[in-house]
Amino acid sequence: MEESILRYEKIDFLGEGQFATVYKARDVKTDKIVAVKKIKIGSRLEAQDGINRTALREIKLLQELQHINLIGLLDVFGQKSNVSLVFDFMDTDLEIIVKDNTIVLTPANVKAYMIMTLRGLEYLHQNWILHRDLKPNNLLINREGILKIGDFGLAKAFGSPTRINTHQVVTRWYRSPELLFGARQYGTGVDMWAIGCILAELLLRVPFLPGESDLDQLSRIFQVFGTPSEETWPGMKNLTDYVQFKHFPPQQLRHIFSAASDDLIQLLESLLALYPPSRCDCTQALQMAYFSNKPAPSIGSKLPMPSNISKIEAEKPSLKRKLLENIDGGSLAKRLQF
Amino acid sequence: MDDQACPRCKTTKYRNPSLKLMVNVCGHALCESCVDLLFLKGSGSCPDCNVPLRRSNFRVQLFEDPMVEKEIDIRKRVLKDFNKKEEDFATLREYNDYLEEIETIVYNLTNNIDIVGTNKRIEQYKKDNKDIIMKNKVKIGREEVELEEILEIEKQMEELRRAEIARLEQEAKKQKIREKEALIDELMFAEGDAKDILNTFAQNKANKQEELVPVVPKVTQFSTGVKFTRVSTQPTLPLIEEGPLYKYEPLAVPDRCGPDPPSIEDIVACGYLKHVRAESETEKAGGYKSTLPCLRALQDALAGLYHAS
Repeated sequence: MEESILRYEKIDFLGEGQFATVYKARDVKTDKIVAVKKIKIGSRLEAQDGINRTALREIKLLQELQHINLIGLLDVFGQKSNVSLVFDFMDTDLEIIVKDNTIVLTPANVKAYMIMTLRGLEYLHQNWILHRDLKPNNLLINREGILKIGDFGLAKAFGSPTRINTHQVVTRWYRSPELLFGARQYGTGVDMWAIGCILAELLLRVPFLPGESDLDQLSRIFQVFGTPSEETWPGMKNLTDYVQFKHFPPQQLRHIFSAASDDLIQLLESLLALYPPSRCDCTQALQMAYFSNKPAPSIGSKLPMPSNISKIEAEKPSLKRKLLENIDGGSLAKRLQF
Repeated sequence: MDDQACPRCKTTKYRNPSLKLMVNVCGHALCESCVDLLFLKGSGSCPDCNVPLRRSNFRVQLFEDPMVEKEIDIRKRVLKDFNKKEEDFATLREYNDYLEEIETIVYNLTNNIDIVGTNKRIEQYKKDNKDIIMKNKVKIGREEVELEEILEIEKQMEELRRAEIARLEQEAKKQKIREKEALIDELMFAEGDAKDILNTFAQNKANKQEELVPVVPKVTQFSTGVKFTRVSTQPTLPLIEEGPLYKYEPLAVPDRCGPDPPSIEDIVACGYLKHVRAESETEKAGGYKSTLPCLRALQDALAGLYHAS
């Protein structure tokens, strides 16, 4: 145990969430930069259940998942009552890239991001796991331009005939209509809807459906896709939280995404189908014409990066590290206290 | 200039030394306080000729004769559209005719001769030469930017030169002090004749000055010789590079150590679904299908069957 704590040298503070604090650290053993997520000990009430639920999900699922487009859980260690998870270090995420208006996203860039996301998700779904919190913020990107799906705090196995799931998942703007209607039994459709919203956001550079409440979210969805009827969505009225909505006529996606090609509109339409069973799954999506058509997806090194992350650094990590060490006084390496 | 007076309030420069006369497009002068008074609302009409005016167009009168001011305004406005250059004409004669026409128009407008007709002429010219006007406007804008850049570069050069000179002066001063100290030291402690020492020092100094003179760098950069490039302010579009096209490859199935489970199609075709609870309409509406647990159960059941310890 003591070994693990000494193994990671803290370099930088990266961020703080509701359940955890994240540090950038160097793995002394392999000399790799990693991200260490230190789970906060919650209140006594949370602590009496044992380890934090989201952390437990991440540990449980990620230990068995291995895919280039999923964040890798490298190590788990604990000290006293704390648990820390060691992940691949990722430089940025898709939210930062979308919001950075100095970055131009070409159709080839968008295609590359979508392919990487869908391939990661396909692997996840094939292993009977739903991510349930897909959003640009959780699509992490490193300086080699590889996108990895992160944050498995809400991920869960699916495909059980009896188990009831909660519908209070997924950040609202990316939440599918069946979840908003309170469905307790759902499938891969919830993730696919989120992917559709992310794709739309990549094209528009602003969130596609930024609802202010759950009801507002639904009405925004229906304002674009038209209010579904019992014919287009059989069984909709039986869903727990169903509410009758004003009738909106469907809009042409072509008018909203005026710069998008036809094959891209086709993909968007099948990702954002209101009726969950008619929504495509990852395999179907990846087989659609959009992905095999021109333009070819950008290769990783050609993908844009925020200006504060220079690519030169990536090519000469040793030099940078040397400089860093000199600044820190070299011998006085900081140790992580977990 | 002493008999300058506001035509409205009759204040003169003598009575109010801070009197400032302002003119607008019509060429009639008003003093600053009258402008404040009359154009409280931002717009109004000229007390002399009743032409509607905007307050923001008032400016300080530079020339004694307000007619000159009026002409400047008109000329500025006319030249905005009549922006052809000599290169745009085939012969010198045509160019001269064109310049003559501009002068006629400006004269007419300044002296209120056939204003309606002249304005019509301008409109007609604008219509006929829309493309050229636009093109020349862009060109002039670009030339202005370039000129500004040249000026900026010259300013930087000037600053550099000044800094360099200041540095050299500082150095020379220090050097002088050092030499003086050295001389005094020498005079104090050396054993030789004071005159000799003085002479050698003077010699040294003269030599050094000879050396120093050519060292002073002469930065001579004039606008004509300055090289510059236009720095584009827009982010450059990334080059579109043709990579390999994407081709779907199914995910590698991990070694299940057992027989392959049937596909979804097989599950439906072979009637396996009879052994699973069928999904209700509500469940289906939520995106749940009975094929999911069926496939999952079959996968789980078949995995690891070949495993032998």
